[in-house]
Amino acid sequence: MKFFSSFRKRSPWVLHYNAGSCNGCDIEILAALAPKYDLERFGVINTGNPKQSDIFLVTGPVTYRSRERLVELYSQIPEPKVVVAVGSCTATGGVFRGMYNVEDGIDRYIPVDVYVPGCASSPQLIIDAVARALEILETKSKEIEKPFKLFGAIETIHNRLSRLNMAAKVGQNEKN
Amino acid sequence: MRKIETTLPALLNEIGAFYLPKEWHFLSVNGIDLGGGKIELQWIFSRYGVKDEIVIYYALSDYETAVPSIVSLIPSAIMGEREIVDMFGLKVDGAQRGLYLDPDSLPHPLRGES
Amino acid sequence: MKKTIQIPLGSQHISLLEPIRFKFECENEKIIGVDADVGFVHRGVELACTRSFEFKQVGYVVARVCGLCAITHTLSYTLAAEKLLGYEANDRIKYLRMLMVELDRIHSHMLCLAHTAENAGFEALFMQIMGDRELIMEVQEAISGNRIQFDYISIGGVNRDLTSELSALIRKNLGLLAEKIDTLIGLFDNNWSLSLRYKGVGVLSLEDAYTYNALGPLARAAGLATDVRAETSDFPYEEIGYKMILESTGDIHARNFVRLREIVNSIEICRNIIENLPVGEIQEKAKGKPNGEAVIRVEAPRGELFYLVRGSGQNMLDRVRIKTPTFSAIPAMMEVFKGSEYADAPAILASFDPCMSCTAK
Repeated sequence: MKFFSSFRKRSPWVLHYNAGSCNGCDIEILAALAPKYDLERFGVINTGNPKQSDIFLVTGPVTYRSRERLVELYSQIPEPKVVVAVGSCTATGGVFRGMYNVEDGIDRYIPVDVYVPGCASSPQLIIDAVARALEILETKSKEIEKPFKLFGAIETIHNRLSRLNMAAKVGQNEKN
Repeated sequence: MRKIETTLPALLNEIGAFYLPKEWHFLSVNGIDLGGGKIELQWIFSRYGVKDEIVIYYALSDYETAVPSIVSLIPSAIMGEREIVDMFGLKVDGAQRGLYLDPDSLPHPLRGES
Repeated sequence: MKKTIQIPLGSQHISLLEPIRFKFECENEKIIGVDADVGFVHRGVELACTRSFEFKQVGYVVARVCGLCAITHTLSYTLAAEKLLGYEANDRIKYLRMLMVELDRIHSHMLCLAHTAENAGFEALFMQIMGDRELIMEVQEAISGNRIQFDYISIGGVNRDLTSELSALIRKNLGLLAEKIDTLIGLFDNNWSLSLRYKGVGVLSLEDAYTYNALGPLARAAGLATDVRAETSDFPYEEIGYKMILESTGDIHARNFVRLREIVNSIEICRNIIENLPVGEIQEKAKGKPNGEAVIRVEAPRGELFYLVRGSGQNMLDRVRIKTPTFSAIPAMMEVFKGSEYADAPAILASFDPCMSCTAK
């Protein structure tokens, strides 16, 4: 596990999905990957495959037809994963708020870790967001890597013996 | 801009006599809600290589009457026809709903309240 | 036994910038039928333009139909609204508007070329073109304050003036870009692997271009002489050195070449605009409420953009009809796919430069 985590820290792969944006943020993501801003110096590579990705860059207020795909892609990314909402309309609906075929913002469907403002978000902001997402990714992987403390105490809940809290994470429920 | 009035039954004949593929560029089919259950349908053409020449055939209709399809004359009209089926809930032969709208979207967004 | 297989492409795919789903009906490697689902990004801008926003705000809303050609959307709407208000802009405003549209065309074409190169497997060229494209983005940011979605045009004029320092920056960057485009032309013409991928692939014949009403670079690559810049008189394009670019073969190579030569032409137009910029106000009063019906066509980077605006003397408009270039080019695109190899599909698709957020609105 340690072997992989050092790689993941230095080269997170991003998956990009357009959930109904105007293309503005999408080309800014491309521009951020291109030589002038060069997001790739952090080892970031744009992949097309959710199963190999760590960071999920989403643009656009979710349209009706892209809802299913968004959730499907999100669930295919392995844990730990970080979701970055790029652009004003991704965060709140922006200018599209209240239009008949959009949901206002992606956080109605998937949990978001980093919101990037701007219409369109500038590449500097996107780089900032990805750098922030890397920190969150690190915390999340640490959280996942914490070992389970097996064979904890058997508790009595509602006058019944319960084994529910037997396998708690180290650090949680220190009182046991 | 030249506007020519036509009727739905005469549409195919009129456009068939008018449209030459090498002379006219077909722009789109358009609908405008006039209120009270009426709609104005437009078929818009522009001329290749001539400045500012746009011809609009228009017909007044209601939402119940089926609209004849001009795909047999102009194959690229299929997109415009599918769009008016979605946006106005009209009936057009050979075009079915679902270009833009999902089953739980508004049934016909651009149709006015009647 | 069924002889054909169905291969889906999309809605999320590494070669696609935007969601679109194709269903290719293939016989061995050959595509014999295509079905496309283009409605993934339908948001409902047309209704919102008439229900939620006043006519003065609509120009900024329609810019959000598409980020790549935002300026042409705003321009078409503004021209239509100004026609209904009975206002005509002065020469300086016209020239500044043309300048932004041409800059937008350059960066959009470069993005498309980068994308085609990437889909031919030439990652290094993709990076190189994207790097060169920043020259134009820099200029756009300096003029308007934002790299993309610059709400530069408003009813009655433009929002920022062009100072002499800006002109110097534009002149410098265009000079740098012109050299790079020259090398690119040589590369696209002579590079062996690009030729192998592009020449004779994805052909649209002139007959088909007429039948399916192709437009923009797709039509001009097939030899169909149509360009809205030559077919409208809203802007004085002839006096600033506009030339129509035509190719004849209609394959991916020809489409790339139309784009490359249009970039060269646009650079020349931009230079001429800066040298001959008339004096005048950049913002004038356009009074009244829109009344009547106006149609406007503007040449966007992908072809003809059409707006029909109808108002009845109210703050809210009655109808805003947006017909975007990719929307009418889809039947022609489907035709090109038929008969080509499945492995070429991403490269062919990228060479159309499709814009789905335009198509679905």
